[in-house]
Amino acid sequence: MDDHVITVLNNIGGFSFIALSAYLLLLSGEISFGQQAFFGIGAYASGMFTAMFGLSFWIALPLAMLVAGLAAAAVGALTLRLRGLYFAIATLAFAETIRLILVATTWQVDVDGEPVGPNGSEGLGNIRWGFDNEYAPVDFLWMIYGSLGIVLLLFFLMERSRLGSIVRTIGADRLLAETQGINVTRYKILVAGLAGALAAIGGAFYAHIQTTVYPENFDVMLGVHSLAYGLIGGLGTAVGPILGVLLDVGFLEAVEWIQGYRMIAFGGLVAVLLIFMPRGILDERRVHLLRLMLRGRRPDIHGAAGH
Amino acid sequence: MGSGYALLAIGFTLIFGVLRRLNLSYGPSIMVGVFFGTFLFIQFQAGWYTVLVGTVLGAAIAGAYVERLCFWAIKKGAAVASMVSSFAVWMQLEEGVTIAFPDRTYEFPALGDFELIELAGLSVRQEHVIMLGIAAILVFALHQLLYRTRFGLAVRAVSEDPNAALFMGVNTGRVIFLAFILASAIGGIAGYFIMATEEVITPKFGLQATFKGLIAMMLGGMGSVPGAIAGGLLLGVVEKQAEWYAGAVWRDIAAFMLLFAFLIVRPGGLLAQHTAARDLAALRRV
Amino acid sequence: MLEIADIVTSYGKIEALKGVSLSVAPGEITCLLGPNGAGKTTTMMTVAGLLKPRRGSITFEDRNITGRDPGHIVRSGIALVPENRLVFPDMSVHDNLRTGAYSRSDNEIEDDIDRMFERFPRLDERQLQHAGTLSGGEQQMLAVARALMARPKLLLMDEPSLGLAPMIVEEIFRIIRDLNAEGTSIFLVEQNVHQALKVAHHFYLLEQGRVTFGGSPGDLEEDEVIQRAYLGSAETT
Ligand SMILES: Nc1ncnc2c1ncn2[C@@H]1O[C@H](COP(=O)(O)OP(=O)(O)O)[C@@H](O)[C@H]1O
Ligand SMILES: [Mg+2]
Repeated sequence: MDDHVITVLNNIGGFSFIALSAYLLLLSGEISFGQQAFFGIGAYASGMFTAMFGLSFWIALPLAMLVAGLAAAAVGALTLRLRGLYFAIATLAFAETIRLILVATTWQVDVDGEPVGPNGSEGLGNIRWGFDNEYAPVDFLWMIYGSLGIVLLLFFLMERSRLGSIVRTIGADRLLAETQGINVTRYKILVAGLAGALAAIGGAFYAHIQTTVYPENFDVMLGVHSLAYGLIGGLGTAVGPILGVLLDVGFLEAVEWIQGYRMIAFGGLVAVLLIFMPRGILDERRVHLLRLMLRGRRPDIHGAAGH
Repeated sequence: MGSGYALLAIGFTLIFGVLRRLNLSYGPSIMVGVFFGTFLFIQFQAGWYTVLVGTVLGAAIAGAYVERLCFWAIKKGAAVASMVSSFAVWMQLEEGVTIAFPDRTYEFPALGDFELIELAGLSVRQEHVIMLGIAAILVFALHQLLYRTRFGLAVRAVSEDPNAALFMGVNTGRVIFLAFILASAIGGIAGYFIMATEEVITPKFGLQATFKGLIAMMLGGMGSVPGAIAGGLLLGVVEKQAEWYAGAVWRDIAAFMLLFAFLIVRPGGLLAQHTAARDLAALRRV
Repeated sequence: MLEIADIVTSYGKIEALKGVSLSVAPGEITCLLGPNGAGKTTTMMTVAGLLKPRRGSITFEDRNITGRDPGHIVRSGIALVPENRLVFPDMSVHDNLRTGAYSRSDNEIEDDIDRMFERFPRLDERQLQHAGTLSGGEQQMLAVARALMARPKLLLMDEPSLGLAPMIVEEIFRIIRDLNAEGTSIFLVEQNVHQALKVAHHFYLLEQGRVTFGGSPGDLEEDEVIQRAYLGSAETT
């Protein structure tokens, strides 16, 4: 595989985590404009653990997930009362606050005679763990897709489990969930925390492939993109958001002549798609039909009506 | 500066009021207008009023495009889809402008050569005084429009209850379209005066205008014109203080922290009344 | 005056009206009775142009108004008092009345508003109050007055007595009779069968999207009407 293809594939994998993170929150009925904060926290925390304190990536990754997960759970707890737009804007405000604080913060330690650490808008550089341990981009490819596979497996298990149905119930009708005796508060915080940790995985990989990360990598564009991925790909299955990433990063990035007009093309694509399929390509109805087809049954159109 | 934010927020709040949906492309539409204004200035050495009219026209046309594509064309129930779609169009507008104006940074004609003036012991820029005056006039005109005309009655009816407005024979689709264009035009006026004070423009202005307008609107309370004014002025004051005491980066940090804190403590905004609770209920599904 | 011929109206795949035909004679009060979910509101909304019928036709004063937009229908002389009143809660009583006259462009609107305040003195006292602060009965009066501001020849009323105290219900029916005596034709949807049959010249029973009876109040025992209006007839339940 040539390097360009590997880079594109790595990007697709990395962004899939944050897309899944936004998707998980959408399932629970919340629109977050701020998942980029936890992607950023994951990137910075893991990068600092390996570059400043010499930890292995395999220790830094779960630690970064923990940090981001706790931060996300805290934001989730603070914003419990907020719904809809208010929640979306609150998460956006939090994410921008974090990003700007990173711009304002410089904290460097001496590593082998060089200052290493977050340095305002110059970012966090020298994340050399991959380089030092002779990991090539293709090795990261396996790591990313291995992790993504595990995450997807967990998603499929969740969707079939009690947790999955609780999350979807809360998303569809919070009051109904409450009357069924579900502790909505606890599950909301849990989902927020899990979504934060999920976004952090993407951030950690991103930091260690790029070796330098900047606060501006985690601006609102990333957050809204990750939300858009789920809405394009479809809200019916965890494969939906990944399909969205594929369409954006895979298709548009790969096709040469679109370069330079990429945003116009992507923006137009999204806008037109949303007119005809407001819940994305793989929405609940089409996922249901596909499942039936895969099992070799004739689709029963009436029973398949989704939302 | 606060009065500029207040104007931005008024346009924002008007759109939110009639649609109960968020138009993220609001700032970028204004940005298109501002670039059109500067184009007139650079190409034809247009005078200030031509630039102003061009800016307002450009913003209004971009706003019309956004309304048709992201709001009119998308089903009523799908507010999230509209919001994401307006973001998608934001990217289009921003890249479109970047392609048309490849240098990124352009000069914007200043209002004129003004000196600092003394007001109650403080030295103030005259541009800011003019901006405050314009904002006051616009707010008055808007109030007359909303409370004295048939169109204003329709706008208020649609923003309170679009179904009931339909029962009264109001063509809600057209009212929303016109209100949307009006709001973008007000944004254009705000954009013109902000730019005439700053004197340089970049495509990033779209993002700033959306953010500042959004923050000011939410601080005041969504959908409320007096709230937008109060929110804009509060934001202006807080930013100035933060910049004074802690430096330029902290100006924006303070703005977002203020917004986050407000949303947690007082989600209905400064002028929260009984309506805020109803809005919250209406927004549950947004 | 109003002729509804075989209309079918559906919400997505659900057919709410399965071929409804009925007519309203000029100068009369015509009632539409039936159990919850029968399609009464859907009928009203279809006549008012808020829902488009799949099939069938609606004629008003010999003009075809099928599928026309609500503004056109209001201007041609049909006004609706919607189910649950739907007044504009944060607008003053006065402004609510002005919205009712939205389709008009003459200069007698303010005179008509004064006339409404004469007819409904309780609204007069609350002219500048927000409609949301009125009691249920006052809101219903406002909804009626608002519809009258369009100067309708035919007034559609969807369950005007819903959720009101018995004394207020009496008053609403008194108003209905007065309006009719002054020449306004009325097409009334009601759950209060007893009161409805007292004022109606004609009535129809609607069950599960179909008209199952049409006639005058004397044609059917009140008990049977009540039975069918609340529960539906034996063969459909
Ligand atoms: N907005 C809607 N979407 C889907 N179905 C609806 C909607 N409104 C009404 N219905 C259905 O249409 C049927 C008739 O409803 P409606 O006209 O409101 O009855 P009524 O006014 O006689 O109680 C009912 O079965 C109801 O469930
Ligand atoms: Mg009904």
